[in-house]
Amino acid sequence: MGPESFRWSYLLLISLFYSYVSCSSVEQKIYIQLNNTVPCVRLLNATHQIGCQSSISGDTGVLHVFESEADLEWILTNGPHPPYMVVMEAVFFTRPTMMRMKNSSRVAGVAVISSSTAPSEGFSPHTRCPNQNSGVYGESYGPELANCNNTVWNPLGNNLSYEDFAFPIFFLENDNQTQVIRKCYEDHNVRVNGTAPEYPLCAMQLFSHMHAVTDTVTCMRRTDLQNSFSINPEKLCDPLNDFNVWASIRPLNSSIKGHKENESVVIAATRLDGRSFFWDVATSAEGTVSGIVTLLAAAQALYPVTQEAPPPRNIFFTFFQGEAFDYIGSSRMVYDMQNAKFVIDMDNVHSLLEIGQVGLRNGSNLWIHSDPVSRKNSSVNEEVDKLVKNMQSVASSLKLSVEEPGSSQALPPSSFQRFLRARPIPGLVLADHQSAFINRYYESLYDTPAYLNLTYPPDLSPEEQLEYETEAAKSLSEVATLVARSLYTQAGGDDQFLSNITADTKTVAKLLYGFLIKSNNSWFSSLLPPEALGRGSILGTGAPQYYIGLRLDNTVKSVTRFVQFILANMTGTVLSLNQSQCQNPNSVPDQSKDLYSYSWISGPVSANGTAESYCVRASVRLSKALSPAFELLEYGSREYSTWTESRWKTIGARIFLVASPELEMMTLGVGVAVLIVSLLVTYFISSKAELLFSSTREAPATTY
Amino acid sequence: MNLERIPNEEKLSLCRKYYLGGFAFLPFLWLVNCVWFFKEAFVKPAYTEQPQIKTYVKRSALGLLLWVTVLTTWICIFQHFRAQWGEVADYISFTIPLGTP
Amino acid sequence: MTAAVFFGCAFIAFGPAFSLFIFTIARDPLRVIILIAGAFFWLLSLLLSSLVWFIAMKASNAEDTKVQTGLLIFGVFFSVLLQEVFRFAYYRLLRKANEGLAAISDEETSPISVQQMAYVAGLGFGIISGAFSMINILSDTLGPGTVGIFGDSQYYFITSALMTLAITLLQIFWGVVFFDGCEKSRWWVIAVVVCLHLLVSGLSLLNPLYEGSLPPVYAITVLMAVWAFFASGGSLHNLSLLFTRKILFVLQLICFVKM
Repeated sequence: MGPESFRWSYLLLISLFYSYVSCSSVEQKIYIQLNNTVPCVRLLNATHQIGCQSSISGDTGVLHVFESEADLEWILTNGPHPPYMVVMEAVFFTRPTMMRMKNSSRVAGVAVISSSTAPSEGFSPHTRCPNQNSGVYGESYGPELANCNNTVWNPLGNNLSYEDFAFPIFFLENDNQTQVIRKCYEDHNVRVNGTAPEYPLCAMQLFSHMHAVTDTVTCMRRTDLQNSFSINPEKLCDPLNDFNVWASIRPLNSSIKGHKENESVVIAATRLDGRSFFWDVATSAEGTVSGIVTLLAAAQALYPVTQEAPPPRNIFFTFFQGEAFDYIGSSRMVYDMQNAKFVIDMDNVHSLLEIGQVGLRNGSNLWIHSDPVSRKNSSVNEEVDKLVKNMQSVASSLKLSVEEPGSSQALPPSSFQRFLRARPIPGLVLADHQSAFINRYYESLYDTPAYLNLTYPPDLSPEEQLEYETEAAKSLSEVATLVARSLYTQAGGDDQFLSNITADTKTVAKLLYGFLIKSNNSWFSSLLPPEALGRGSILGTGAPQYYIGLRLDNTVKSVTRFVQFILANMTGTVLSLNQSQCQNPNSVPDQSKDLYSYSWISGPVSANGTAESYCVRASVRLSKALSPAFELLEYGSREYSTWTESRWKTIGARIFLVASPELEMMTLGVGVAVLIVSLLVTYFISSKAELLFSSTREAPATTY
Repeated sequence: MNLERIPNEEKLSLCRKYYLGGFAFLPFLWLVNCVWFFKEAFVKPAYTEQPQIKTYVKRSALGLLLWVTVLTTWICIFQHFRAQWGEVADYISFTIPLGTP
Repeated sequence: MTAAVFFGCAFIAFGPAFSLFIFTIARDPLRVIILIAGAFFWLLSLLLSSLVWFIAMKASNAEDTKVQTGLLIFGVFFSVLLQEVFRFAYYRLLRKANEGLAAISDEETSPISVQQMAYVAGLGFGIISGAFSMINILSDTLGPGTVGIFGDSQYYFITSALMTLAITLLQIFWGVVFFDGCEKSRWWVIAVVVCLHLLVSGLSLLNPLYEGSLPPVYAITVLMAVWAFFASGGSLHNLSLLFTRKILFVLQLICFVKM
C-alpha cells in the first residue's frame, strides 16, 4: 500500500484534473502491458468467418512457454492450471499443433514470438490452391483444370490462415518484452521435476474481441440494420478495399469513360498485396514485391523509347490491389470496363502480360504460363503463340531462357484469370516456377527479403544500402529488361529500338530497398509530395506491409501511394510550373487534368538541407479496388470477392500474476468474518450503550 | 400516497383505476396494484369495499402472472433460437450483441 | 474467482463502518447530517492538501528522486496536519450548532451530546478517508491479476483492506478523544492525537514493508479504543457491571436448564 495521504491526494487530483493519468498506480503494480503485438483478426466472406477472436473482456490463461512437443501434452491433458496461454516460437506454429489446440478447451490463447530463421521444410498458412473459387476455372470453363486438379500451385499450403479460431492468437516481436515474458514464466511457472508450479502463477490476457460474426452477409445486414434503426449506429465490418494504380504510355482521357476509338492497349499487370496469418504483417517479398519492382523498373526502362519511337499500341501498366483476397482489384477493373465505367473497355484490350513471382529464379529458367482453354480458339492461340515467340526471341538476345510449361497446364493464380472470365483475350503470365510455386513461404511471415536473397554486406550505412546493387537486384533487372522489351514488341514497336530498352540495376536496387527494407529513405522521400512527408508521414519506420486492409476515410494505403508516385516520376515529365499551377493545371494553357495527373513532388534534399520541389505530369491514376459485390450490394456473391474485415474496439496484451484460489478464499473468509463480528459487536454495544457509558448524561452510541 | 389516510371509497376507486389501467398493456400497473393493495385486500379487517378490492387485486395478480409466463416463454424461445433464425431474428431485434452469431 | 477478493476486501475495509452506520446512525437524521458534514470537512482538507501537493509536484523536478521522496514525506505530514485543523474547525462548528439545537429543542438541552457528536463526526471522517484510500484498490481487486509481478507482496490487497479498517476505526477514536480534549481544554490530548495521526501516516511510508506498519498501527488502534472508551464516559465499573450481569444471566440460564 502506498502512503495513505499520497494516494488520497492522487485520487482527488484525478477527479479534479481528470485525464491527468490514464491508469491508476495500483494497476501499474499489477500489469505489464505488451506493446509490440499484432493480433490475428476475423475476416469474413460470403459463407465463412476466418481468423481469431477473444471474449469481450479478454481471454486469460496461465502462461506456458511451448519449448518442445512434450509441452503440448502438458497443455492439453496434464497441466493442473487450465486454461493455458501458450507462448511459442514461430517454429512451433504449425498446423498439427494449432489444430490440436483449436479443438481443446484448455487453451485460452496463443502468442507467437517472431523468429528470424524460417523453417527449412517450408511453411505456408495459405490454401493449396489460392483463389480457388474466384479464378476462371470452374464448371463452365475448363472443368478438368478447376480446383487445381491439374497442378497444385501451393503444395505446402496448410490452410491455417483460413481456419476459424475461437481464441486469440497474437504475434510478438522478439524484443525486450518477450524477455520479460520469459522471465515471468521462469520465475513463477517452471515445473520442477515435472511437478506443477506453485501459486502465484504468471498469466497473460489477450484482448481481440471482434464485432462481426458468421459471414459477410450477416455482418453487412446487421450493419445496415444498425444504421437505419439504432440510436447509436455501429459498423460491424468493412469490405477490404484500397486502390489500383494504373498508367499508360500515351495519356487516356479519364473524363470520358467507356470505349475509346482507335485505341488498342497492351496491359502489363502485377499484384500489389499479400497477406500472412496475422493482421497487417505481410512482407510478401517474393509473392508480391518481386513483381512490383520488376514492373516499375520495366516502366522506367520503356518510357524514353516510347516517347522517341511510340509503338502503335498503347501500353497500360496496372498494379492490382487485394488480389490475395479473391482478386478484388482486377475483378473491379474488369467490372468497370464491362460497364463503361473505366477509361477503356474490354474491346480496347489487345493482350495482357502479367508479372507473377519472379524473384527466385536463381539464374535458371523463367516460365511463361498461358491459358489452355482459351488457346483452343485458333485466333487466340495464334496471338498467344506470337507473344511467346516475341518473348523468347527477346529472352535469347538477353541470354535468358524463357520456356512454356506443358500446354495442358492451367494458369497459375493471377489477375489475368479475371480478364479471361470476361473474354478470351491473349495473354501470358511470367513467373519463376514451372508448375508449383518455388516460393516455399507463400503468404507467410517468412516471405522476407532474406528469402529473396536480399542481403547487404555488414557495416553499410542505410544510404549505402539503398545504393548497393545486390544479386537480387541484378537478377530482377534482367527480368525487368525482358518484360520491357517484350511489352515494346507486343505493342508493335520496332525491333531496332529494343537495344535502347534496359532496366537500371541501380533503380531496381533502390526499389528493393525501399519496398522491402525501409521505406523511409532519402530516395523514396524525394519522390513523394511534401504533404505525404513530415508529420503523419506515410513512410513508416520499417518495411512496408502488403496486407490490403481497409480505408475508412478515403485515404490511400501507403504502398499504393509509393507505387503511384514512383510510377509518376518514372513515366512523367517535369514541368516548369509552380506549386499552385501544378495543383490547378487547367488554368495553364496546354495542360489538361483530364489527360494527365499533376503531382507536386518534394524532390531530393540538397547538401544545404533544402529540397528542390518540382511538378510532374504523368498519366498515373488510381482506380478503386473495392469488390463489385459491395457496389451491387450482393454480399453473398459467388462471382466477386466478398471479403470483409471485422471491426474491434481494443487490441491488447498484458501479463500479470494470478493469486491462488486458497488465498482468494482466505481473503473472502476474513472479510465475511470481519463483517459478521463487527455486526454482532456493534449490535451488542449499541444495545448496552446506556449501561456502558452511563457516567455521563447520555451515551455517545445510543439510540434515544 | 399513504393508504392509511384516505377513505375506503377512494381506495376502491384507486385500485379500480390501476386494475383497468393494466389492460393498456401495462402489466407493471398490475404489479403495483398487487403489492400496494395486498394488505388492504387480505390483511385488514373487513370493510364494505374490501371484497371488491380483493377481486381487483386477485385479477391483477392473474393478469400479471399471464404476462410473466408469456414474456418468459418468448424470451427463452427467442434467446435460444436467435442465432438459428438468422435474418428473421436480426430484423426483430432492437440491439444485436457484438461478436455472437 | 477474483470476485472473492473484491468482496473479501470490501467486507474487511467497510464491514465495521457499515455495521456502525446501520446500528447507530441510520435511524437518526441528525446523526446522518453530522456524519455527511464530517465527511465533507475531511474532503475539504483533502482538496487543500492535494492543491498544495499539485503545486509542489509542478514546481519540483520530477527526475530528482530524493526531492520527490522528500516531497512525499512533506505531503503526508502536511495532509495530516490539515485533517486535524479541519477536525478542530468542525468541532467549533458543531459547538455552535449545538447551541442552536438546544435553543430550538423542546427541552432546554441539545438532542445530542458532545460525545455523540464526536463519535458521529469521527465516523464521518473514517468512512470518507477509508473510501478514498480503498476504492481505487478495490476496483483493481476484480482482477484478473494480482499484485506481485514486480516482486511486491501478494498480500497487498488484504493488507490494504486491513490498513483501511484500522484507519477508519482510528478516525473514530481520534474524533472522540480530540473532541473530549477540546471540551475539557486539555491541549496535550489534542497534541497526542495529532502526533499519533502523524505516526500512523508515517508508518505507511514504510510500505511495502507491511510487517513494519500493520502491527504498530493495530497496537495504536487498540490503545486509542481504550482511551476513547474512557473519554466517552465508559469506566471499568460499567464494564464489570455489564459482564457481571451477563454472567448472572448465564448462571440463571444454566440453573434453568438444570432444573
